[in-house]
Amino acid sequence: MTNVDQFESVFRSADKPVFQPADVELATVLVVSDLAPEAAERFTGAVRRFLHGLDDPAITWETLDGGRFASQGELLEQVERIAPQLVCSYRNLHSDGWRWPHSLGEYLDVLTQVGPSPVLVCPHPEEMEPDTFADFGTDRVMAVTDHLAGDDRLVNWAVKIAEDDGHLLLTHIEDQRDYERMIDVISKIPALDTDAARRTIMPQLLKEPRDYIRSCREQLERAGARVVVEEVVTMGHRLGDYERLVKEHRVDVLVLNTRDDDQLAMHGHAYPLVVELRALPMLLL
Amino acid sequence: MPPTTLLLASGGGHEVGLSITLVFTAVLLGLIACLALEEKIHAKKSIIAGVFAIVALMMGIVFHVLPGTAEVHVFAETLTIPIYIPAIDWGVIAIILGSSIFVDVTSKSGLFTWIAIKLTKASGGDPVRLLWFYGLMTVVFSAVLNNVTAMIIVGSLTGVSLRKLGRESQLLGFLLVEGLLTNIGGLLTLISSVPNIIVGTAAGISFVEFFVAAAPYVVVGTVVTIFMGARLFGIVKLGSDEERAEAAALVSGFDENDGIESRGFFVFGAVMLVAFILVIATTSVLPFVSELGMGYVALTFAVIMLARFKSSVDTFYRALDWDLLGFFAALFIVINVMEHAQVLTLIGHGLEFIIDLGDTLGTGLILIAAAAFSSVTDNIPLAAMLAKILGALGKPSDSALWWSVVFGANLGGNLTPIGSASTLVAVTIMHKQGLRISFAGFVVKALPYALVQIALATLYVLLVLA
Repeated sequence: MTNVDQFESVFRSADKPVFQPADVELATVLVVSDLAPEAAERFTGAVRRFLHGLDDPAITWETLDGGRFASQGELLEQVERIAPQLVCSYRNLHSDGWRWPHSLGEYLDVLTQVGPSPVLVCPHPEEMEPDTFADFGTDRVMAVTDHLAGDDRLVNWAVKIAEDDGHLLLTHIEDQRDYERMIDVISKIPALDTDAARRTIMPQLLKEPRDYIRSCREQLERAGARVVVEEVVTMGHRLGDYERLVKEHRVDVLVLNTRDDDQLAMHGHAYPLVVELRALPMLLL
Repeated sequence: MPPTTLLLASGGGHEVGLSITLVFTAVLLGLIACLALEEKIHAKKSIIAGVFAIVALMMGIVFHVLPGTAEVHVFAETLTIPIYIPAIDWGVIAIILGSSIFVDVTSKSGLFTWIAIKLTKASGGDPVRLLWFYGLMTVVFSAVLNNVTAMIIVGSLTGVSLRKLGRESQLLGFLLVEGLLTNIGGLLTLISSVPNIIVGTAAGISFVEFFVAAAPYVVVGTVVTIFMGARLFGIVKLGSDEERAEAAALVSGFDENDGIESRGFFVFGAVMLVAFILVIATTSVLPFVSELGMGYVALTFAVIMLARFKSSVDTFYRALDWDLLGFFAALFIVINVMEHAQVLTLIGHGLEFIIDLGDTLGTGLILIAAAAFSSVTDNIPLAAMLAKILGALGKPSDSALWWSVVFGANLGGNLTPIGSASTLVAVTIMHKQGLRISFAGFVVKALPYALVQIALATLYVLLVLA
């Protein structure tokens, strides 16, 4: 190693994001549905059972039934007034769009992108009885991202909703197609050694999330968090592999980032998951 | 014009006309000028020196100042070899080649990055402690490895760590101080810099003698430089507990074990580094080894380390600084031709005039002149030329004049960005980090440090070593 760049690479590689555990403040949870008041309260009860891992009597649970908003503006006004730290709802509010599983519905689109709070998306009551998903509990929480390293907020939320002694699966899937495309480009540049790239890039891509997960495990143990951290770091095709992993690990709830600072729409990698995995509760940050 | 007496290492001699000597002097001056303008003419040192070596050799044959071949006697056998082969100081080349490979392979063990990151974490991210730790590390690495490698390791870590700490505004101060300290650390041992190797070898100074003589100055020079750096660049301690906690949390993210691919090789590298220093330090007193010299030791350790990578040693061969090695070889040839052409004798007469000014004035002037000369061109030809001249003048190894050359040649590199390879590396890293610093800008910033260092060195040589 005789040049500056080589040593800089070594030092940059040694510079790892350290997970900082932080308590997620949760004073008010708002449950939004398009149901009649009584059914809406039952739905809230189901959500509370599902989230019994929160286990905090100080949390105020508010219910917003279908009669209290008729437009996106009205919903946002209600959310702004109640100022919850978490909103729970489901897809295709005030719509029969749930019959055609190709969208989130306009209300959820706005809640996830405009509202300030994370949104827990539950299965639609017409697709799954609320009591059914309530029984899932949050024993197996999977935090998913394509850029896990340094995402403390994602992990802290996942820890927050996990039951005591539950399993926290920290998942990072590196897109195989992106990787192959990168190698293909490198193979066409004479100045770059393709074999060296093939040998070194993939391990480095997978090393960074692994290092971060190790830090999460150490810091959570140190903080006395009652979760078992499991690592799932692999190459793959995101949607298909997440579907497989959810089944393999019998996941109860997914936690994922959906906001993208560069665009108004939902994060491109999150959208297909949120649209297609309809039977699985998801916490969207 | 009366002919001047030729000085030859072997003690033999023949006569050369002064006009011919002056022609060769012009060639030498041309080489020095081209090396000084290396950046302007966009040519590597090895090519510049190589061209002058070829021209000088041909001129030497044409003007009959040297033979085309030399005879080497090995017991009863006599070997006839081209004159440019014994012209090269292969002992020096072997030391540089061997230690370069040794350091390069050892760095693969992760040892140096481990030390660097450990110190970063120990600083807790406090800028003043970081400056002291990095400064001391630069000096030690320059002394044990070489000043270019030291600057590369510490400079690249400085860029990464200060950015992590959000202290990019202090990058210039850190990198400048580190660059200047490489040449202080380069004074510590006989193998720390090329001028040391050349002058020390020519003077017959042992590794231990060199260390004992240079160490007190290195300690003082280091402390003064770091202290000045902190003051002039306004590098102060963190003020509050929150700042300290935040900085400590940031540097705690560095993993010193990340660069260690094999724990066994890491330990082996550490053991071999200690062994290398010990054997080099005691080469002059070790039976059998003393006959083969430090070059043999350096090459032996290089080969032992390379054995770990026996199937991929070509990677390390490619990483060698062939420009530097080619430059040395060509330079030795030029110096040898100049020696035969009486150019060194001519310069020696000038030098004698300075030396005759007295122990104090003469020795001091040699140091200052060497520093001034080294600041504008490579200090290696200067060291090689002065070493030859002092040797020919019969100066004993305990003469303070040798130390004037050593201190002047090393510290002169701190006056300008082109004064030494390590300050050039420091400037390269500054540019890489987006810091725009011109030649004049560097001189303005470095001048106070360099003047203090040279003044301290002059006092030290005159009061302690003379």
